[in-house]
Amino acid sequence: MIEILVYGAVISAIYAMLAVGFTLIFGVARILNLAHGAFYALGAYTVYALTANLHVPLLVAAAIAVVGVGLFGVAVERVLVRPLRRSQLAVLMITLSVGLMVEQVLLLTFGSEARNVPSMVEGAYEILGADISAQRLLALAASIVILAGLWLFMQHTRLGSAILAISQDAEAARYMGIPSDRIYSIVMGISAGIAAAAGVLVAPFQTVIPSMGLLPLVKAFSIVIVGGLGSIPGSILGALLLGYTETLIAFEVSIEWSQIVSVAAVLLTLVLRPAGLLGKRAAF
Amino acid sequence: MKRRTILGAGLAAALLAGAAPSAFAQADKPILIGVNTALQLQVGRDAVNAVKMAIDEINEKGGVLGRKLEMVTADEGEAATEGPKVGIAAVNKLTGDNKVDVLIGGYDSGVTLAELPHISRAKTIFLGIGSASPAIQAKVKENYDQYKYIFRVNPINSAKQAQGLLDFISGKLAGELGYKKISIIGENAKWVQDMVPMLKKGAIDAGLEVPMAEFFDPQTADFSPIFSKVKENGSQYLLVILSHAASDVFVKQWYDAKVPVPIGGIDVKSQDANFFERVGGKSISEVTTNFVLRAPLTPKTVPWWDKFVKLYGTPPVYTASGAYDAVYIYKEAVERAKTTKTDDVIKALEKTDYVGVRGRVVFDELHEVKDGPGYVNELFVQWQEGGKRVVVWPKELAAGNKMINPPWLQ
Repeated sequence: MIEILVYGAVISAIYAMLAVGFTLIFGVARILNLAHGAFYALGAYTVYALTANLHVPLLVAAAIAVVGVGLFGVAVERVLVRPLRRSQLAVLMITLSVGLMVEQVLLLTFGSEARNVPSMVEGAYEILGADISAQRLLALAASIVILAGLWLFMQHTRLGSAILAISQDAEAARYMGIPSDRIYSIVMGISAGIAAAAGVLVAPFQTVIPSMGLLPLVKAFSIVIVGGLGSIPGSILGALLLGYTETLIAFEVSIEWSQIVSVAAVLLTLVLRPAGLLGKRAAF
Repeated sequence: MKRRTILGAGLAAALLAGAAPSAFAQADKPILIGVNTALQLQVGRDAVNAVKMAIDEINEKGGVLGRKLEMVTADEGEAATEGPKVGIAAVNKLTGDNKVDVLIGGYDSGVTLAELPHISRAKTIFLGIGSASPAIQAKVKENYDQYKYIFRVNPINSAKQAQGLLDFISGKLAGELGYKKISIIGENAKWVQDMVPMLKKGAIDAGLEVPMAEFFDPQTADFSPIFSKVKENGSQYLLVILSHAASDVFVKQWYDAKVPVPIGGIDVKSQDANFFERVGGKSISEVTTNFVLRAPLTPKTVPWWDKFVKLYGTPPVYTASGAYDAVYIYKEAVERAKTTKTDDVIKALEKTDYVGVRGRVVFDELHEVKDGPGYVNELFVQWQEGGKRVVVWPKELAAGNKMINPPWLQ
């Protein structure tokens, strides 16, 4: 029981990091970013390349990965997405292509075998009888800090207010003199950076392979549909729901069955409440 | 979108040019060896390198029946994500476009099984070097005329590997170590589905309690629920069977959570010589089966191993030993048959008695490599301090080596 509580918390926290970035860029810029999983994979691989090949200290590598992928996100928005942003379909295709491109480049560069990213912290802890590795606890703590930081940033800075203003009414915000294009780039950068951070944190205990971004993308998508596309509290709620349900099923039934949860949740949500739990209107 | 190694255009053109009707052309034409395997993976790369190494050696000594050997490769893709379609396309390309004389390859049983009808339709000899399902060679018995082309040089089939594992369970785990309760988990793949029920039954017959025998998806990224169940049910050993699944994640999560149960079984990626290093030493005390090591299994083993390392900079994995032997086995069969005609070569192959780098290769009536003392053996090898590999079973080959526990259980 305690194990479900602890492991579920770790999974939910990682899911929340993925989903918040995904929903943020949609809520603000209406970009349905199918390259989101690629940012996650890039984060993990950057750390791998820096530590294994260039022997950069792990924490420095992690910082470089998050910032680097954030900048990559900005570049993708600026160069590829912006010229065609008016067409949702074009944006879908562009981000999908970016995602596939990243995967192929990783495949060509690193091959398809799993790569080893060393743990940032070694050892294991026993929490009320449940053994858990220090790296997982670090992932949990770091994601709480990152999400709390994001919340503070959104609520208490001018830039955060500008982002919120655009997400509420882009046109009105532009009339108020908020430079929407620059905001879109920044939000894409933040979203990519958070996805990369998730990749960096899980890399030591997950499989680092070129296609590692696909499942997180599916999860992020599922969570924001359940929580309501564009709603940050909704995506955190969705992440907790999915993370805990999956863990519960994995521990109590079989890990083979846990993967069906997210798909079932998406179908149920779309049928029963298309706007999602905390969404204002259906996004589709 | 997947890359394929296509020696294609150039080679096809060369072949077409060579196909100009000339009685002399036939004798000069190289004997083509098609290698169908997963070129992205170590098992595939090593197989290709081993075939190349054997071909170069044979060509240096004048080839076979005065003809040179030549290799063409085709990618079988990654079975776990792509299924059998890439493998089927690879076989059809090699037999249809390249018209190879023999196929050497295969690494995933599901893919190999799907390829069989295509191989037999192309009437091309196939020397399997990686897939382990007994269902593959069973086809030879079901319909000899249709499937006589199919041979397995390597590895020992999964049913026989299971026999070896059972021997390890009853002799080592229950016998020498006195364990009473073990759990069995395996990835959900064809060869494991064949094996797990057999293992469970055998373990129970050996007087062990088996509270858990489960499958998990090869894509599984988090093994904590399994470790938690195994810890709770009081197992003294966790027998694991995985090949395509994430071996690295499996041992890392096991080590990091200090799961109080030792692990071992068949972990195909842990058979790689650099696995210990790849996972940062976290496979310490894991036991896995292996078929070839840098040890004098035959007089050929150590020189072959060292030459491979020198040529390619990496120690060979299990498919390499099979691929290397397969080329020589084919060569000798062609020499005995004095032709590359398929039916004659098959007859000659059936009479194979060849000492390779893993042991003595003889085929049974299913065209299956014979195993056991005097033939090819399944070894149980443990990762010990500093990434040293130590044979701990079978008893006669372990020579008194001690099996260690993970550091947190010592």
